[in-house]
Amino acid sequence: MHWIQEVSALARRWWIELLRERLNLVFSIAQPAIWLVFFGAGVERAIDTRVIGTDDYISFMLAGIIAFTIVGNGVSAAMPLLWDKETGYLDRLMSMPIARSSVIVSRFVFQVAQQSVQILLVVAVALVLGVRIESGPLGLVVILFAAALLTMSVTAAFSALAYAVPQHGTFFAVVGFISLPLLFMSNAFVPLDAMPGWMSVVARINPLTYAIEAMRILVIEGWSGRVLSSLGVLTIAAAVCLAVGTREFRRQTGDRVRG
Amino acid sequence: MSAVIETSGLGKSYGAHLAVESLDLEVGRGDVFGLLGPNGAGKTTTIRMLTTLLAPTVGSAHVCGYDIATNAREVRRRIGYVMQTVPYRGLLTGREWVEIEASLYHVPRSDVRRRAEEALEAVGLVVDADRRWTEYSGGMRKRLDLACGLLHSPEVLVLDEPTLGLDVQSRHRVWDYVREQRDRGATILLATNYLDEADRLCNKVAIIDRGVVVVEGSPAELKRAVGADLVQIKTDNAERLRAVVGGEPWIKDIVMADSGNLHLYVEDASLALPAVMRIGLEQGVGLEQMTYSQPTLDDVFLLHTGRELRESENAS
Repeated sequence: MHWIQEVSALARRWWIELLRERLNLVFSIAQPAIWLVFFGAGVERAIDTRVIGTDDYISFMLAGIIAFTIVGNGVSAAMPLLWDKETGYLDRLMSMPIARSSVIVSRFVFQVAQQSVQILLVVAVALVLGVRIESGPLGLVVILFAAALLTMSVTAAFSALAYAVPQHGTFFAVVGFISLPLLFMSNAFVPLDAMPGWMSVVARINPLTYAIEAMRILVIEGWSGRVLSSLGVLTIAAAVCLAVGTREFRRQTGDRVRG
Repeated sequence: MSAVIETSGLGKSYGAHLAVESLDLEVGRGDVFGLLGPNGAGKTTTIRMLTTLLAPTVGSAHVCGYDIATNAREVRRRIGYVMQTVPYRGLLTGREWVEIEASLYHVPRSDVRRRAEEALEAVGLVVDADRRWTEYSGGMRKRLDLACGLLHSPEVLVLDEPTLGLDVQSRHRVWDYVREQRDRGATILLATNYLDEADRLCNKVAIIDRGVVVVEGSPAELKRAVGADLVQIKTDNAERLRAVVGGEPWIKDIVMADSGNLHLYVEDASLALPAVMRIGLEQGVGLEQMTYSQPTLDDVFLLHTGRELRESENAS
């Protein structure tokens, strides 16, 4: 089928580029694991375990670190699309008989694959540090699934931004501005109950919160109906981001002014 | 209908700015069609419409019989588009780029390697195929780009200033490439600012300005329309030669130059030269030197688009 051939050809490009950038590869794969160790070793003693609802801060942080990684990766996911737009390769792609969606989907596929490796590594490190995943191996699969949904949301949102901005300067300004608030206005580091009221309201409309909620419950508590409802909200968020991303992509590739 | 590219009243405006006003072009099968015009005349906008990257605001265009607005997918299957600037980047090798592009053109998986090799061979890049793109020179990058334009053996090749900034060798390679593609039966639309290039390669050119076709025809026709060929003769008896050739029907004008040379303005220098020699021999007039010059496409271009530089793009 043509569509699969297109997506895999484009993904091959992302894959080769990642492999040739050794430092990028090492740093990005290892980063979440390193964060976890730093947080675990450094912050754990400063934390009131009554606030986070568990004795084990690393267990609590695991989901937050995964979300943190996904947001960070969202920027690097959108960046090649930004460059392609500016160097003209996007035009070249658009003059080919390929499905418009192939470009973004190849990015999703690549990103989810890369991210899954990162997550498995950070989970492995967590296990070594004594974390137990209450929901077991199947829970880990669901954690990967939740991470994939969040990845799609974030990648789609940042890609939409990459396509919408007039030049890359705006992209980095906006991304720099929103990335950290996006994390702090979620339950990544602090549970919702411990937040000031207004903050928890904002956190509740943040898709990150639902991904973290689902993953955190699977790690700390095990199976629960709240995992399902969080995944439901997350699915809706991913669908919305995808719709926005597709719209911006169509706008960008539909009719453009250029010298 | 034999036209491979056909536009009627094709236009594109951005708000009040008219990039292309109303274009009527007809490119026949097997043509190497030159699209000429000053910067800002609308060449690139036209090409972006024909390659389905821009939607026209008025008029219509068909490529290989398919409407660019309603049947873009079919158009894209049939065109190879080589952009003005090489769009590739990053850490891939030339071969990897070509293979990826072959897959994007839906070359069957089992054929990708072979087809990529053929395309690389066609532009002389086989030896350097496994070097990284970042190590390529400007000429090699352009050739890689040209190779990628061939992967699906397109019926129509659209080349936007393919020799811009290239050295002489690379330019000749590009020209060979265009000829090879023509011989294979492809139709070629070539936008260029180099008129000698258009003269060499194109069997038909259209000069556009401010988004309309100003003049169209074969390079020879256009040049002939600009003015006469000039034959300059150094002779031992200019007065007598003037008298004996003066009555010939192909003479447009005769001027005795200050240098003492005789200047004949004729319709076609290639026919005038032997005629002058014959008459000189018959009449016993000694001819010492003959040179001739023909109008160039530059003359045609300047005649139709004006001489002044246009800094202002507010064509309307």
